[in-house]
Amino acid sequence: MIKVDKVSRNYIAGESVVKALKKVSLEVGDGEFMSIAGPSGSGKTTLLNLIGCIDSLDEGEILINGQQVTKMNKKEKTEFRRNNLGFIFQTYNLIPVLSAYENVAFVLSILNVPEQEIRERTYAVLKEVGLEGMENRRPSRLSGGQQQRIAIARALVKNPQIILADEPTANLDSKTGEEILKLMKKMNEKYHTTFIFSTHDQMVMDYASRLVLLHDGNIVSDERR
Amino acid sequence: MKFIITLAFKNLSRYKRRTSITAVAIAVGLMMYLLVDSILIGAENESMRNLRWYETASARIHAPSYWEDRMLFPMESSIENPDAVLALLDENGWKATARTVFTADMILYSEDFGEDGNMNVLVTAIDPETDNDVFHFSDTLIDGRFLEKGDENGILIGSWFAEDINAKVGYWITLVARGNGGFYEAMDMQIVGILNCPNPNVNRTLLMMDKDTAGYYLGMNQAVTEIDVLLPEHEDIDVEMAKIQAKIEASHLDLEVHSWKELAKDYLAIAEAKRGGTSMILFLVFIIAAVGISNTMLMAMYERTRELGMMRAMGMSDNNIRLAFLIEAGGIGFIGAVFGIVLGLLANLYMVNVGIDFGWMMRDLDMGYRIQSVFRGAWSMSSFIEAFVAGIGLSMIVAWIPISRALKMDIPSCLRHQ
Repeated sequence: MIKVDKVSRNYIAGESVVKALKKVSLEVGDGEFMSIAGPSGSGKTTLLNLIGCIDSLDEGEILINGQQVTKMNKKEKTEFRRNNLGFIFQTYNLIPVLSAYENVAFVLSILNVPEQEIRERTYAVLKEVGLEGMENRRPSRLSGGQQQRIAIARALVKNPQIILADEPTANLDSKTGEEILKLMKKMNEKYHTTFIFSTHDQMVMDYASRLVLLHDGNIVSDERR
Repeated sequence: MKFIITLAFKNLSRYKRRTSITAVAIAVGLMMYLLVDSILIGAENESMRNLRWYETASARIHAPSYWEDRMLFPMESSIENPDAVLALLDENGWKATARTVFTADMILYSEDFGEDGNMNVLVTAIDPETDNDVFHFSDTLIDGRFLEKGDENGILIGSWFAEDINAKVGYWITLVARGNGGFYEAMDMQIVGILNCPNPNVNRTLLMMDKDTAGYYLGMNQAVTEIDVLLPEHEDIDVEMAKIQAKIEASHLDLEVHSWKELAKDYLAIAEAKRGGTSMILFLVFIIAAVGISNTMLMAMYERTRELGMMRAMGMSDNNIRLAFLIEAGGIGFIGAVFGIVLGLLANLYMVNVGIDFGWMMRDLDMGYRIQSVFRGAWSMSSFIEAFVAGIGLSMIVAWIPISRALKMDIPSCLRHQ
């Protein structure tokens, strides 16, 4: 369970202060498949970053499974992310010199999982996202959809409680985007992992079981389907 | 850890050209260092050997009052009973020879030299039978003959000195010198041999005659100004000196022993300063390598900022990220160091066996080195180890700054980076 309580985040842009989030409150239950939508500059990525413990807020607090993550220091946040959160990025952010296998396995390496278990879990998750037989290919030899599948595998492989996806279909054509969404939905249902997206994409909004709309740093609608 | 090492080494191959250029810069820098270091060590070793072989011997025994006025070559401060000292040294297994060094006015005649003239010279009177036990002049004869015991008119001259005054074997000169007691004596001498001494300082000024002849003309009455001693190369000079001094004192001889290090204090000071020059070269090499590595790592960090943000978001600790980049930088340093060592070995092989002939420069320029022409290198294992470690260590040190800067960026900024 994620609880966002009256969170504000301001950015300094030159001499002016941009209020990216204005006392936003939100609760996300376990296993939700939620989309945060809104126009550019509405604060959706900021909200996602704050829940993902990669940004710091100016006001309010965020609790994840009862832990007050906003009070954690840098080292504690790093450890929290390592153990509990998965990320999927718009531009995949894969390491180009590593193979598909290595890109996924590294997440388990930093968790000090034994070598044999890394191998088993990595092959299993790559099979699950449809990349069986492509384990040794480098990202440059894979399509955008396949690269995003690696990114999903990388987020899933450590069985995190929450996966945060920042515009995961923005760089994909609609057909591939839909495949990716179906895959994520499948994983959400299978592992009961909480998925939170930020998006502009109507298709992603349609797939979400809950849609939160942001505008100028405020939640203007919160719709469960 | 395995992942960190894998990532670091795979990243090395990511920008092959940039890695290669930086590694080459390090390699060339290290080779230059090794080359210059080798030449300087070789020049220093050879200079010190030529000092001992042709100038100072291993040690020198003087009368106590001689040392203070040694620049004036005082004849009156001489060793009265050199035979007793030589016998004492011989009894204890030290090879030694007696010499008398004096200043003179050398008169040249137009019959031989084309025009009349004169100049101040330094003359070394030697014992031809024992001098070569301590010094190495007999190997340097290039024309004429060496001195013989009791050679009444014969004198040897250094080849550069001979060139300067256009002297040839058979030419006559007159030496006018102040004898022991204050009178002036003229000695008519004939050049009987020309020596090409590898020590340029000696070769420029060398005039050598028989000790007994000089003693007779100068009223030395068997006395000499110095006794030069040969000590084994491997022996500790200070320990041997102390032994000689103890033996002399035990025999109630009022004499002083000075090591070649004291005699060549000026040269050793210059050599020390030149060693400082080597450090400067090493520093320049470090700058070259530092700029190359720093630039490579800056570019790497800049191009991989988003990747860095991803790794940090995934929970990879800053220390592990830093370690991965440091290993990568160390890898570039390692490649550069290996090539630098190989290039250094090849360059040094040439320098040790062939060397570079600086004769054209050394003929007219006194650089302090006691080398006449060919500068040869010397092997120094410690320099190779230093260069290797420095190549790797420096690469990692200079990479630290750009890595730390990149890690200071917040994660969202890293992820937004284009």
